[in-house]
Amino acid sequence: MGGRDTELVLLDENGIRCDGRKVDEPRRIMIKAGGLKNADGSAYIEFGDNKILVGVFGPRDVHPKHMSNTDTGILRVRYHMEPFSVTERKNPAPSRREIEISKVIKEALEPAIMLDKFPRTAVDVYIEVLQADGGTRCAALSAASVALADAGIPMRDMVAACAAGKAADTIILDVNNEEDQAGQADMPIGYMPSTDKITLLQLDGVLTPEEFKKCVETGIKGCKIVYELQKKALTEKYFANGDSK
Amino acid sequence: MDNKRKYVIPGDIVTTGPYRPEQNVILDGNKIISTTIGISEIYDDSVKVIPLTGKYIPKINDLVIGKVVSHTSLSWELDINSCYVGFLPAQDVFGRDFSAHADELSSKLKSGDLVAARIANFDRTRDPLVTIADRDLGKIDSGDLIKISPSKVPRLIGKKGSMIQTIEMATNAAITIGQNGWVVVSCESPEGLLKAKKAIQMVDEKAHVANLTDQVKEMLESKGES
Amino acid sequence: MTSVSVIDELKKFQILELLEQGKRVDGRAFDEPRKLVIEPNAIPKANGSARVRLGDSEVICGVKIQPDRPFPDMGDKGIFICTAELLPFSHPSVETGPPGPDVIELARVVDRGIRESHMIDLSQLVIEKNKSVVGVFADNVVVDYDGNLFDTCAYAATAAILSSKTPKWEMKNDVPTLIEGAELNIPITTIPVSVTMGKIGNHIIVDPNGDEWDSMEARITITTDSNGNICALQKGGNGGFTFDEVIQCGKISVKVGATIREKLKQVMGTKK
Repeated sequence: MGGRDTELVLLDENGIRCDGRKVDEPRRIMIKAGGLKNADGSAYIEFGDNKILVGVFGPRDVHPKHMSNTDTGILRVRYHMEPFSVTERKNPAPSRREIEISKVIKEALEPAIMLDKFPRTAVDVYIEVLQADGGTRCAALSAASVALADAGIPMRDMVAACAAGKAADTIILDVNNEEDQAGQADMPIGYMPSTDKITLLQLDGVLTPEEFKKCVETGIKGCKIVYELQKKALTEKYFANGDSK
Repeated sequence: MDNKRKYVIPGDIVTTGPYRPEQNVILDGNKIISTTIGISEIYDDSVKVIPLTGKYIPKINDLVIGKVVSHTSLSWELDINSCYVGFLPAQDVFGRDFSAHADELSSKLKSGDLVAARIANFDRTRDPLVTIADRDLGKIDSGDLIKISPSKVPRLIGKKGSMIQTIEMATNAAITIGQNGWVVVSCESPEGLLKAKKAIQMVDEKAHVANLTDQVKEMLESKGES
Repeated sequence: MTSVSVIDELKKFQILELLEQGKRVDGRAFDEPRKLVIEPNAIPKANGSARVRLGDSEVICGVKIQPDRPFPDMGDKGIFICTAELLPFSHPSVETGPPGPDVIELARVVDRGIRESHMIDLSQLVIEKNKSVVGVFADNVVVDYDGNLFDTCAYAATAAILSSKTPKWEMKNDVPTLIEGAELNIPITTIPVSVTMGKIGNHIIVDPNGDEWDSMEARITITTDSNGNICALQKGGNGGFTFDEVIQCGKISVKVGATIREKLKQVMGTKK
């Protein structure tokens, strides 16, 4: 897509990318905890031009009942993009891409959440992409983790996510839309910072084994940057106006 | 905030060492890790985190405010602001001689009714069992329902009931606090009712603020509509 | 029915009691809508957008404009389509999946209010007659629910359309091709404003909040245009209105509509 991009320079001679960033610099990130009135927990994230809202309900009764588990609560995730979130208007019905991303995010969160104390219930995570610009699944996962914490769902760790990739033969941090389309590799990573576990990992593109290692390392650095902002978001909502540690 | 208490989020290490993990913490190797947003407390031999958010988890003997949402011919189901629905058997209200044929449940309680109830039994294998068979329990006929976060209830009650007494005395309101975060307020005077509601909302919003008690007292003593 | 949709009887009783005394639970007058906050261009990459809060109900509307085939016997007019969707976190009782009758009614009523007023001059949105026209899609997503989504969505869609810029296309080799750098405001002929009223007992109240919405026996949504004419109307709920009540509602919708129209004008800077 985008045959107009023949002029696009992904990395110039000064090491500056097409949107002015350096190779190890993520886009502007802002995370806010809370904000929705009816959800049990919520969060909003801006990651570059991505704007994503997440709402969480639960633990709550499961309908239909046959989906519930007698030993533990279950996690359900729905990732969905609004029709106006992308360049060409998108049909509101769930696409295969959205269904896959829903599953991948669910499996990135499951290692972190602890629902054994809530049998026969479900925790529902609803992700709505209001505006998309490359890297939505990482932004969505990061916001979902904050929304779950906001709802008081027990978690052994937060999950922070960021993508690394390759463009102009260089490993870069946080791939934007143009780099995703015209670049050489895109690797979204979801990571639990205190437990040091990778829970989301996908790859699109071609990497040598050395590049692969560097890409994962770079991505984890990005995840740690996101984690600090998740912490900041929760601190601002819960610990302001009082002593913090 | 002294050294034994600090703010934590999920994944934060509260401390290391030979402590027994209590509420909202887990043991990982020799690290005690918080599983929720809250305030950690370290005692001589145990560690826990007091959560600042989350749903109400039923505890036996807790007083709760519930809303009837449905009934069968044998029991009512109550919304008690928890992950689970409260179960109120017909015998609790009609007595041992209850007969599904003769006694109609909706004659006593119907959908939408509010009740003050107690958690009679709860374990994770079944929905919490609820009772309204005491003198101070039963259908609530009047008053305003206010919903606060269940984690703020201890603050609303205060040390030995100090906060709630302050509010009741300053406004002449009668306040019933459910451990599940639902609170019923009734008051003869509309100003008293408004002030009481405002005070309760203040506690919900500012529970973690150090001089909350002073702020609430100040608001209660101020004259007129604020 | 899930537990969260059952209103507590005490509240319902209080609402009616207060109405009998001429008061509403939140202190508003009977013909007073809640605070309206409009944030235009909430989604900068869309062609137009607005985030609207009416009390605690919140809706985001994004407008996408792109070439499309005209409807079968309307080859000389552009296309306008308005949708509405309840996002699952807007209320605990919302289920995912295809929209039910309530949401479909909401979408169709909001669509009609704008379409029947002829807000957008669709005859100016033709690229090549009978072949290619401009399609304007206004998609509403409900973020938070506290009653009266009819008006919240309608204001969001109207504000989003007022803030929209449309690109221009020309036919090249039979394909609509974008003309770079040429953007215009959407051709607007009027500003429609919908006003929803609920009936509780014998009282008509404007912009019912969530609790009032659960207590009312019937509702009516009336859309007026900038000339004070009524261009769309929908009655809902399982109660009924008397003839006098319907006429009264018409008058209220013109009066309240005019106030809201001023707000929309202010935010958008339009002169219509």
